[in-house]
Amino acid sequence: MKTASLASLLRGPQAVGLALCMTFALSVHAQQATNAATIQSDTNQQLLQRINELEVKVKQLENKPAAPAPPPAPAPEPQAVETPHINEVAPRLHLNVFGDVGAQVYNHNPDTFYFGSLDLFMTGRISDRVTTLAEVLFIAHNDNTVTPDVERLLLQYHSSDYFTAAIGRYHTGVGYYNSAFNYGAFLETSIDRPFIYAFDDLGGVLPMQDVGVTVTGKIPSGKMGLNYLMEVGNGQSWIPGSETSQNNQDANNSKSINGGLFMRPEAISGLEMGFSVRHDNLSVPGPAVGELISTVHVVYINSDYEILNEGVLVRHVESTGPVFSTSGFYSQLSRRFRSYRPYFRYQYFNAPSNDPVYVYAGPNPYAPADVTKFVGRLNGPSAGIRYDFSEHSALKFQYDRVSLRGLAAQNALSTQLAFTF
Amino acid sequence: MKKITSAVPEFRAVAILAVAATVWWMASIEPVEAAGEPIVVIVNSANPVESLSLGELKKLFLGDRSRWDTGKAVAPVMIGPGATERTAFLKIVCGMNDADLGKYFLQAAFTGKSATPPKEVGSAAAVKSFVAGSPGAIGFVKASDLPAGDTTVKAVKVDTAASDPGYKIKM
Repeated sequence: MKTASLASLLRGPQAVGLALCMTFALSVHAQQATNAATIQSDTNQQLLQRINELEVKVKQLENKPAAPAPPPAPAPEPQAVETPHINEVAPRLHLNVFGDVGAQVYNHNPDTFYFGSLDLFMTGRISDRVTTLAEVLFIAHNDNTVTPDVERLLLQYHSSDYFTAAIGRYHTGVGYYNSAFNYGAFLETSIDRPFIYAFDDLGGVLPMQDVGVTVTGKIPSGKMGLNYLMEVGNGQSWIPGSETSQNNQDANNSKSINGGLFMRPEAISGLEMGFSVRHDNLSVPGPAVGELISTVHVVYINSDYEILNEGVLVRHVESTGPVFSTSGFYSQLSRRFRSYRPYFRYQYFNAPSNDPVYVYAGPNPYAPADVTKFVGRLNGPSAGIRYDFSEHSALKFQYDRVSLRGLAAQNALSTQLAFTF
Repeated sequence: MKKITSAVPEFRAVAILAVAATVWWMASIEPVEAAGEPIVVIVNSANPVESLSLGELKKLFLGDRSRWDTGKAVAPVMIGPGATERTAFLKIVCGMNDADLGKYFLQAAFTGKSATPPKEVGSAAAVKSFVAGSPGAIGFVKASDLPAGDTTVKAVKVDTAASDPGYKIKM
């Protein structure tokens, strides 16, 4: 394709028209330039006159006596910059939300994504010594339903460090783990709780919640750092079709009683040792069963290391005489490396197959879905790593290998994203 | 006999792993150096306390002790995150960093404890101002921020006086 020149494009009348247009445009431009020069000259004159006037005024002001300078503004008082660690949503109410989601790969059940829990945790200060604590939980069950649950509702009175009383629905002081960690998975190192402390909503058998009154505090003991706890509640019911936790109506007049003692010696910061003993008379379809739960724990926690060791012994005594003993323990070790925290846990739990109470428990979460009975031996290691990728969120990976009496060993790979805001 | 023979290599492997883990753990221990400027712990002038142990100080700042012997509520205060004296104080007294401190009080609230985190202010002058105005307050400042003759607050010993060579809370 050739490119045509301007001259070849213009012929005869077209060239004359173009010349006329250019002449007209040039004449208009020349006239505008003349007018602009005239206007610019006038403007310059006005500006010079204005400058002269201002110079005169400046000289007049300089000749006047100087006025006293105004006093300097007082330096602002340092203001307190409070950084709340807990979200204040109203003058008396603090709210924290915990959540966790994840995925699991099993060799005994279909692989799945899961929504773990949504936990609304609220505290409020009613007066200098009276506080409230409420926790509303939404958890997904194995049948895929998501149900709301008032996990805790407590009114607390703090008389001193030696006496704090509370009434309402509480997490029991059975063992260390249940007192230190609850549903907020973000606060836990591992993805799940040790099996002996699994919640009854998820197949656990020990009483993790109760409704009643609690008293806690320190015991004057100097550097030994002794503490106590006492709890009286409705206890558990194992009548099929009813809630295990008796929130509104106790099935019998017998109340659960739990007492605990633990020490945090000042000489070894981070060390805690203690035990608890709990008694309850359980309502079951058969003869009444007395239950005695004894726990012991030795834990050591500082910013780098976490060493948890707990053991539990459960005795079920039927009114007709037979005694059934269930035992369990776990050890969990972890160490932090910057934002990473690898961990290892070994756990063991063994309930007799003819236990008069646990035969009514829900399915064992570690067992295949077609195994409906909880009882039996369960043991095995878990290993994982937690990565805190921000101050309020963590990503965890965990491998579990669990042996179950009479069944092939089960393997599971899990991941969890836990957060709080 | 065969079982014992086959178990020997496993035993050696476990022993080697145990020794390696011990060496690795010991190598990871960071010595706490206390060679810089002292950090002085201060209370309200009306507070009769004269000295505290390091353990007591930790309890006061972590909400494990909520009242003084006089019955006044303990009100800990500290300068905000980033200040060198805060970082050193948390490490030496509480064995924590800022993230640990936040998580500690989050977990304390979650477990039903009434512990409230220390109040945070923007400067050493604000720490002194808060302590001077609150009967139950306790805070800390660098020694250079508490000139001799400053009677607005009272410096307390922590095991020993801040001027002693053996004083532990130093930047």
